[in-house]
Amino acid sequence: MAEPSILEIQGLRRDFGGVQALGGVDLQVRRGKITGLIGPNGSGKTTLFQAVSGMDREATGRIYFDGHSILGLRPSRIVALGLGRTFQLSRVLPGLTVLENLLVASRPDDSEAEDRAHNLLRQVHLERQVHVLGKALSYGQQKLVEFLRVLMRSPKLILLDEPAAGVNPTLRRTLWELVRQLQEQGTSLMLIEHHMEVIADLCDEVYVLNEGRIIARGTFSEVREDPQVFAAYFGHRNRTAS
Amino acid sequence: MLWESSVLLQLALSGLLAGALYALLACGLNLVFGVMGVINLAHGELMIAGAFLSWLAYRYIDLHPLVVLPLVMGLLYGFGVLLQRWLIERLTGRDELTSLLVTYGLSILLMNLGLLLFSADFRSVPVLQGGFYLSSLDLVISKPRAVAGAISLALTLGIFGFLRYHRMGKAIRAVSEQPEVAMICGIDVAKVRQMTFGIAAAMAGAAGVLLSILYSFSPETGGEFLLKCFAVLVIGGMGNFLGALLGGLLLGLVEAFVGGFFNVQWAEAVAYLLLVLVLLLRPGGLLGQRHAVF
Ligand SMILES: Nc1ncnc2c1ncn2[C@@H]1O[C@H](COP(=O)(O)OP(=O)(O)O)[C@@H](O)[C@H]1O
Ligand SMILES: [Mg+2]
Repeated sequence: MAEPSILEIQGLRRDFGGVQALGGVDLQVRRGKITGLIGPNGSGKTTLFQAVSGMDREATGRIYFDGHSILGLRPSRIVALGLGRTFQLSRVLPGLTVLENLLVASRPDDSEAEDRAHNLLRQVHLERQVHVLGKALSYGQQKLVEFLRVLMRSPKLILLDEPAAGVNPTLRRTLWELVRQLQEQGTSLMLIEHHMEVIADLCDEVYVLNEGRIIARGTFSEVREDPQVFAAYFGHRNRTAS
Repeated sequence: MLWESSVLLQLALSGLLAGALYALLACGLNLVFGVMGVINLAHGELMIAGAFLSWLAYRYIDLHPLVVLPLVMGLLYGFGVLLQRWLIERLTGRDELTSLLVTYGLSILLMNLGLLLFSADFRSVPVLQGGFYLSSLDLVISKPRAVAGAISLALTLGIFGFLRYHRMGKAIRAVSEQPEVAMICGIDVAKVRQMTFGIAAAMAGAAGVLLSILYSFSPETGGEFLLKCFAVLVIGGMGNFLGALLGGLLLGLVEAFVGGFFNVQWAEAVAYLLLVLVLLLRPGGLLGQRHAVF
């Protein structure tokens, strides 16, 4: 039987010059659960995703994904092990069509990639945009396509960096439905999100990051009561929760 | 009247065929620029390497250039992959001046190696003689020109189709647009860059083999062709694959007409005239200057 955590992070550190973006983070993502990662702007959430996905290979510490030590591996290797992620600012490939955007992310040996892509697009009502170039989509549609791109390989763990930011309410609902559905199918997810009602609604467990350190961990109602969390969000001047 | 239109047709056809060779060479140069952001000043020498391989095979083992063509492409593909892995990969993310200097150095190195091995004498591979008579149009097209042009065009269109429709082609486009996104799509970006440089080198090598049946060449011929390629890139739009294809054909056409109506010296200069004109009127190139449009 596989271990209960799909992702296990130990003592993760990352400095940018003098700025300590991550100051020794320990964190576990349990299999089949949705784990929230919240914290004020600049607390290191995106930096953590960068390290886990292998995009940033300067971080130190330990990261185990599905039993493999992945810190220092190339992103393509980590993706091949079953990790997917989206970017905070949507990164659809502008000169590729919607369909190509999905196909380019499929497994090389996937003979049904095209069918899968069409099915995914139908699910989010983008089937009419199949041959539209990435850059011609609305921002919300781009974020959705980026999400679908991740699903092309049916990853075991998906890291979502503010997937709903800048997305209109209708598309947003589609998006959260998709997240829920993925979890029901057994996918593990990690979600960075600023809307607390979404976190409360979706997440089984929540980590709170502040200035590069985990200051609280638990269910949403547990961390909400934590005085340190309150202080992190509201205790400093010039810091906002959005 | 009939006589005039047949001359025009003759010039147009031979111009397009000559232009196809420019297109083949320029598209490779453009591919590397579009994907790696590197202007490979040694691209002309890669072509000349192909030409000398063709000459060697013809001279010493009596192999026809068209038989040697796929072998040369394979060899140059491998050489390109190694060059990318050992040299060019280190230039990604560096400023343009560094990559220009390094590829300039490579160009000088290869050219001098060529001079050392083959001297500055001009060679040629005179395998195809005479012409094809097209009875329906009542004109004659020189055989080397027809064969070289047709193969150039087929190869260029083939590569274009590969980039557009093949899975690896899509990966190359993804890397050229946003390497970070490509990575997270599971694409091994370093491998894709090697493949890209390999393809470009193979295209240059093929252009060299075709050059060897068309013109006489020496190790120093690469530079001239590189300059014309620059004209083609600027005319068609930097990083724009189709632009380079059309730019190459256009240059061939214009050279043929200028050569036909004025003289050959003018034809040699017309590339740069065209370059200046495009820079003045449409600085982005005829099809627009975009990063890697395939
Ligand atoms: N590439 C970078 N270079 C320099 N500093 C960075 C870089 N990326 C992030 N940082 C810094 O690291 C800290 C954490 O940033 P980030 O992880 O983006 O925060 P969050 O996603 O939680 O808003 C911030 O102080 C930010 O300025
Ligand atoms: Mg962030």
